[in-house]
Amino acid sequence: MECVVQGIIETQHVEALEILLLGLCGVPKENIRVHELCLKSGPNLGSEASEIRILCDLMQPEPAWTVRHVGGSMRGAGADQISVLLRTMVESKASKNVLRLFYLLGYKLDHELLRVGFAFHFQRGAQITVSVSSYSKMLKLHATESNDDNVPVSPGIQMVEVTAPASAENYTEVAAAVSSFCEYLAPLLHLSKPGLSTGVVPTAAAAAASLMSFSGSTNM
Amino acid sequence: MDGPMAVGHGQQPQQQQDQQQQPPVKVVERLNTAVQQQLNLESVKTRAISLFKAISRILEEFEVLSRNNSVPKWHDVSSSFSMVNLELFNIVEDIKKVSKAFVVHPKNVNAENAAILPVMISSKLLPEIEADDNAKREQLLYAMQNLPVSAQIEKLKARIDMIGAACESAEKVIADTRKTYFGTRQGPTNILTLDKAQAAKIQEQGNALRNAVNHGQGLRIPMEQRQMTSALPAHLADVLPIADSTQTISDSSGMYMKNTPPVSSNIVNNQATLMQASGSQLMGRAAASPGGTGASSFDNTTASPLPYANSPRSAANMMNTPSPQQQTQQQHQQQQQQQRQKFIQQLPQHQQQMLAQQIRQSPMTGLGQNQLSQLHDLQGQAQNKYQLHGQSQMQFSQSLGSQQFQGRQLSSGGIQHGISQSQLNQGNQLNRQFNQMSGTANSALFNAAQATPNNQMMSNMSAMMTSQPHVARMQQYGLSGGSHNLGSQNMNDQVFNMGAGNPNTMMPMQQQQHGSQGAFGNMQQNTQNMQPGMVPMQNQQNHTNFQQHRQNQ
Repeated sequence: MECVVQGIIETQHVEALEILLLGLCGVPKENIRVHELCLKSGPNLGSEASEIRILCDLMQPEPAWTVRHVGGSMRGAGADQISVLLRTMVESKASKNVLRLFYLLGYKLDHELLRVGFAFHFQRGAQITVSVSSYSKMLKLHATESNDDNVPVSPGIQMVEVTAPASAENYTEVAAAVSSFCEYLAPLLHLSKPGLSTGVVPTAAAAAASLMSFSGSTNM
Repeated sequence: MDGPMAVGHGQQPQQQQDQQQQPPVKVVERLNTAVQQQLNLESVKTRAISLFKAISRILEEFEVLSRNNSVPKWHDVSSSFSMVNLELFNIVEDIKKVSKAFVVHPKNVNAENAAILPVMISSKLLPEIEADDNAKREQLLYAMQNLPVSAQIEKLKARIDMIGAACESAEKVIADTRKTYFGTRQGPTNILTLDKAQAAKIQEQGNALRNAVNHGQGLRIPMEQRQMTSALPAHLADVLPIADSTQTISDSSGMYMKNTPPVSSNIVNNQATLMQASGSQLMGRAAASPGGTGASSFDNTTASPLPYANSPRSAANMMNTPSPQQQTQQQHQQQQQQQRQKFIQQLPQHQQQMLAQQIRQSPMTGLGQNQLSQLHDLQGQAQNKYQLHGQSQMQFSQSLGSQQFQGRQLSSGGIQHGISQSQLNQGNQLNRQFNQMSGTANSALFNAAQATPNNQMMSNMSAMMTSQPHVARMQQYGLSGGSHNLGSQNMNDQVFNMGAGNPNTMMPMQQQQHGSQGAFGNMQQNTQNMQPGMVPMQNQQNHTNFQQHRQNQ
């Protein structure tokens, strides 16, 4: 299970957000470049189509493959009380044959994404991961390298995602940790459950300006 | 004197310097108010002078030290500094008490501003500023020159009040703006810095991004428009077969042709070639014979209805008229058949006989052919089992009629699927999951195939094959053929069910066949072939069981 919140931020403020996160997290950032393939199962695998995501980490010298299944989210009164989305998620490393395996099983490519950005992994009440990335869609199949066939889904806007693994016993603490961390980011962006859509924060420009100008010290 | 104390002038233009003579008129006033202060001032001055001397003394000491390049005694240095600091503090305190009204003294005097401080503190305006000031004052009072002083004062007061009110309102506006600017954190409701159009555009883009990331909206390219990029990226180059776009499409025709080359294991390669060789034969159409070796062995058991006399599969093919649907699949099945034939030729003779019977009854879709090629994997393990059950299987298979044949076509897929699942769970190689579902002969081979990676399955199978009372139990298990995670026991049960010779038992078999088909080494071909194959099957015959079972899938 994982707790997750999402938000959007304009690309012009990403640098300021990076500075803020660097200060908050205290760990160096890691660059992300992931090719995400979303497969849907065929009719031979059950009445309900299931979806599975295959992530290929292109930052490593050897591409690292991961299989990931995202399940349904928690619903009900308890879910409304916490400000994060709690959903089942299963992830596992896989060999490079995983894509072929799923094709052989009858899964078909539903859509694919290229995700480029950076992330911070740190511990603050829970093991939290903050990732800021720009998503690109591919006009031609699997065109991750050619820049012509790669267009951002939304130019000028990047997606911020804060996730933390949780279990059924400790999800309230994890949700609280994630919420309190998101408070620090409030001047720059508004984080909410993935289903709810919010816009950008009006104070983002001012906060970003103040963060960027902090580097220059004035002579008193 | 260069001290921390400097004296400015208060509201009255007075200069309080000891050296200067004070104007007689004002002296009186000052003396009145500042008698005590004077006394204090003198003492303050004395103290300031002594402090100044102490500081200069310390500076001299430092110069001596620096000239001698010796390490100063830090304890002494710090103590002297603290003494100086204390003295300064006392002086400043006294000054504060004494001259609150009209003394300005700088807070921080250091080397930078010591020189300029007196000038800065001086209240005498620069000449040009003074002239400017006078001009403005005249302008201000021009209108009121004629009025009495009190009226002038009133007007000035009114003016001051107005200005004060304006300042206050301005401050209020600034405070409110600041509050809303930094205080609220709500998203779309407060859009002060962005204009509406821009905010709406950002909101729309943000929603598009969220939907794309979370649900994939806007990213799906329809099949027709999908085109492969010219150069596969490195991480996909060795993972996907060449021209793999058809993999993503539920169109079986492409799969067959394309999947044979990239098969990695030798066994599967053999199977592929074998199937290619045998493909045409099994389809029962006028295709060229593969012309393999050892073909004659198949003819021993039955009279072949097929026109291909010299093909190993000719005896085995009991297919009725090829259905139109089958013919559409012949293209991709051709390869499989050819491969299977070659494969079968490599088996020992008795196995080939059994295979022949199985092929005779195998479905037209060519699934059985695919299954046969899996037998190649069995190697030594299967051979023993074949010998054990060969006789019983042969007799059994011959009892199966065309009715079951139809059913078998479907079931082969089902079992394959199920077995593939179980074997996948076991982490076995995919190419071992051949399921020959037609007839007990098929079932025996199927069981043998299953048993290759799993010895336990073999023992179970052998037990089941030889004991009749298991039939009833098999039927039970067979009904659960729809589930994907079938254990080995289950699969064997279902397989055995097929051999019962009861048309009603075809139900589980169908399911099994369909399922296990997916596990084949060239699985893509099978699975996708199955899909179009299954549908036409349904339409071919009025086979009630068949249709029922089809629904179960």
